[in-house]
Amino acid sequence: MPNLSVIQPGLQTTVQDLGREIHQIDGFPVSGSMDQSSHRLANLLVGNPGRTACLEFALTGPTLIFRTATFIAVTGAQFSPTLNGDPIPQNQAIQIHKNDQLEIGTAKTGRYGYLAIKGGIKVPIVMDSRSTTLRIGIGGFHGRALVAGDQLPIQTQNTLSSYAHRRAPQEFLTSFRNPLTMLQNPLTIRILKGPQWELFSKADQARLQNQQYQLTSEADRMGYRLAGKPLTTSTQSLLSEATVFGGIQITTNGQPIVLLADRQTTGGYPVIATIFTVDIGKIVQCQNHQLIQFQLADLQSAENDIQRQSQLLQRLKAEFNDQRYQEPIGINRAAAQRIQELF
Amino acid sequence: MKPYQLRTVGDRAVSIEFPNEINPEINLRLQALAKIITADKITGIRAVIPAYHTLLVTFSAMVTTPDSLKSRLDQIIADQLAAPLPSKRTLIIPVCYEEPFAPDLADVADYAGISVDEVIQRHTNQSYLIYFLGFLPGFAYMASVDKKIAMPRLSKPRVKIPAGSVGIAGIQTGFYPVTSPGGWRLIGKTPLTLYQPENPEPFYHAGDEIKFEAIDKETFAAIQRADKLGHYHVKVVNENA
Repeated sequence: MPNLSVIQPGLQTTVQDLGREIHQIDGFPVSGSMDQSSHRLANLLVGNPGRTACLEFALTGPTLIFRTATFIAVTGAQFSPTLNGDPIPQNQAIQIHKNDQLEIGTAKTGRYGYLAIKGGIKVPIVMDSRSTTLRIGIGGFHGRALVAGDQLPIQTQNTLSSYAHRRAPQEFLTSFRNPLTMLQNPLTIRILKGPQWELFSKADQARLQNQQYQLTSEADRMGYRLAGKPLTTSTQSLLSEATVFGGIQITTNGQPIVLLADRQTTGGYPVIATIFTVDIGKIVQCQNHQLIQFQLADLQSAENDIQRQSQLLQRLKAEFNDQRYQEPIGINRAAAQRIQELF
Repeated sequence: MKPYQLRTVGDRAVSIEFPNEINPEINLRLQALAKIITADKITGIRAVIPAYHTLLVTFSAMVTTPDSLKSRLDQIIADQLAAPLPSKRTLIIPVCYEEPFAPDLADVADYAGISVDEVIQRHTNQSYLIYFLGFLPGFAYMASVDKKIAMPRLSKPRVKIPAGSVGIAGIQTGFYPVTSPGGWRLIGKTPLTLYQPENPEPFYHAGDEIKFEAIDKETFAAIQRADKLGHYHVKVVNENA
């Protein structure tokens, strides 16, 4: 199979799809992409199903050489990607020729970026998923983050002239609530009351909403620790319960941990609140020291937002399909590409 | 009938909650429900995750709503609570309770005021329900240990516990599938490989029972050799067999 060569791995680059949710019953973390809306968008731009495996990179992205022609899209945090030294835009499909070098660079804003490749990254499926779980060394590319010299299997995709149209314009990104269009300081994150909300005093329930929290440097794929004035933790001993993506646990020191993709499947700390699914990407994309303001909201708006985001993606997909029959189209583009390769 | 409640957790999950206790009957109901919900392929349901007294059911908010899911779950639970508990299987796990595998066995004997042999006898003469798996892949939370030997966990956890170690933490008992830190009182070790990254799915699941069988060091070595070659088969006893 043709491959993708890793020249520089970046800070932490892993293969991720949307995780192995059903295997939580056997104690396996879900894993999968941290910012799932950016992951889905990247795949849509190259015509992949939403859960197809992408590369996820944090803060500093990889430098890669494509050993075959294909299409790619970069989404998520704002990096400064270049192709053979020339800057390329994010949030649109880019044609790749054999031996092109892609350098992602460093995140200017945001934290996690996604590289979708037409057809996906063909690492073996482990327990129904290609996602890497670093902590236990399974999935992805040999259960680990990429290192220089790795060769990842990808598919050849010679030319698809209609792909020139596949881009997500700024207006789309804004209405899609793309996390990068939402970042501000302090950042408002909407929450729902968690299963142990009632175990906290009225004063602490108010403190969670009224104070600003700061994201600490203890932030990884398992969870982000926040710092603020501590809440009083209940002395009542809790039996462990299953965790959810975006759950906010209050640990014994009274500080919150936001549970993310690689979280343990069960936990015994009280969960005071959970983050709106469509707002998880926002908090995931925060860099250290970011200020965060929680805002209590209702379940109906959380559900509506999930549906709205999904409908927007469907609409974009339909637009791409309609554009297939617009110029530029046809064999001339394929011929032009081969001529270009000759010289 | 046990009272339960359905609680929406976040915007993509509903939790089935039974009374807040470690009770095998409650947990076996949850395991049975987990099986039914998985087998029924209910529209929009994505995963089920049991714990001691709760079963979390995650769903796709694009396909269903918490309210319609709750009314479907109410029907399933009503049917299940009226049915007898399903039969369970018991897996026999060989354990060597000798040095150097049992650094805390003498302490447990002192705590209980009985001999080491009696600790082993009390640990092996009953089976334990796997309430759920969590913490690490394949880490089984099992209970309930004979109260006499239910020694609380170490005040200062060990940094490194070898894979296969068997321990006690209060009324809980279990084995470490991978080398990890931990505070359980170590009383033995199984020669079985419990976790392989290349084939990570455990051979035991929540709702199974585990019974430990004491073996000597020679048997430990022999089973370990056979297991590594893939020639050892864990003994399984079915309740209704």
